[in-house]
Amino acid sequence: MKEIVVISGKGGTGKTSLAAAFAYLGGQEVIVADCDVDAADMHLLLKPDFGQSQDFYSGALAVIDNRKCTMCGRCHEVCRFEAVVLRNGRYVIDPFSCEGCGYCSRVCPEGAITDIPVKSGQWFISNIKTGSVMVHARLAPGAGNSGKLVARVKNEARQVAKEKNKDYIIVDGSPGTGCPVVSSLSGAAFVVLVTEPSLSGYHDLKRVHQLVQKFHIRAGCIINKSDINQKVTGDIEKYLQDQDILNLGRFLYDERFTEAMTRGLTIVEYDGSDLKKQVEESWNMINHAIQ
Amino acid sequence: MRIAFTTRGTDWDAMMDPRFGRTEFFLVFDEKTGVLTHFDNRETGNEAHGAGPKTAQHLFNLNPDILITGNGPGGNAASALEKSGIMVYYGANEMTVREAYEAYKNDELSTV
Repeated sequence: MKEIVVISGKGGTGKTSLAAAFAYLGGQEVIVADCDVDAADMHLLLKPDFGQSQDFYSGALAVIDNRKCTMCGRCHEVCRFEAVVLRNGRYVIDPFSCEGCGYCSRVCPEGAITDIPVKSGQWFISNIKTGSVMVHARLAPGAGNSGKLVARVKNEARQVAKEKNKDYIIVDGSPGTGCPVVSSLSGAAFVVLVTEPSLSGYHDLKRVHQLVQKFHIRAGCIINKSDINQKVTGDIEKYLQDQDILNLGRFLYDERFTEAMTRGLTIVEYDGSDLKKQVEESWNMINHAIQ
Repeated sequence: MRIAFTTRGTDWDAMMDPRFGRTEFFLVFDEKTGVLTHFDNRETGNEAHGAGPKTAQHLFNLNPDILITGNGPGGNAASALEKSGIMVYYGANEMTVREAYEAYKNDELSTV
């Protein structure tokens, strides 16, 4: 079973548009895992049925039992998030400030504080329009993505792939270089980096590639919107060569990507001509690279 | 040598887990005594953040000379391992533990 992880470092480079297009081209043979849970939008393009769902718990929230509390104020002193507040003469936890670190419950001499697990969202196993299956998640308001949630989504996707005897998983990775990205990358067979020739696009490409190198994973790169800055595109291509990153092609800035998205279509469904051909070429290169 | 493997099961035929921080198990093979033991790391896989360093701590407690894994540890875990003196071999993806051990003996794995 091979995992192909699509990441970008910088947001807005076209990562999900391309990942969804690859998933469409892969059809029934490809299981999809949307690990960009903070801003999940694969579901807009792949039309999941939200068939199975399960609650997801992550982190904790402190709760004070007022019957045991003796108002010593230790919790108030130690909380660095100012989440223990005095209200009507009692200490209470402000749930929006509490980070669930557990410090207050540890120092409470009366054992009046408990850390309860927080429901931070749901994850789903859905049938999608490609005839395949997608594992994805939805966060509760204010909840954040985590390495744990990404690992969960990927594990479920692996399980589905195993049951259905499918060889490929496409992972829409999260942005940045933090814990969720590390979790997206671990276990991957190939990484597709999607970038754009803006200074931040190039900068973030380099940062995320450093991370990819730590995991010794073979990588390829697509330069999207390559005509918006020819010079930076040239710099990026040189970087790819120096770093031995497979050049998976340049795409021009093209409003058809946006038009496809507003219709809920992948770019290869919306455009049957040159763009589709180009995405197919990149997809074939990826397939060739992981053989 | 005491050799630790990141694995998805608890015997020689188990598949290697390519991940370090969220590996399901460690298998430890003591070449001197021929004894194979395992450590269940699934609870660490359930951490929201910081699984790498926590798993590194568990690994230190198992006191191996060598670690054999798939992709290799990430940044935080790697800097912890560096200080421990444990030799890290990676590239044992898509193998059983037995195959990974053979690959190590035949010098087919890469080292950090």
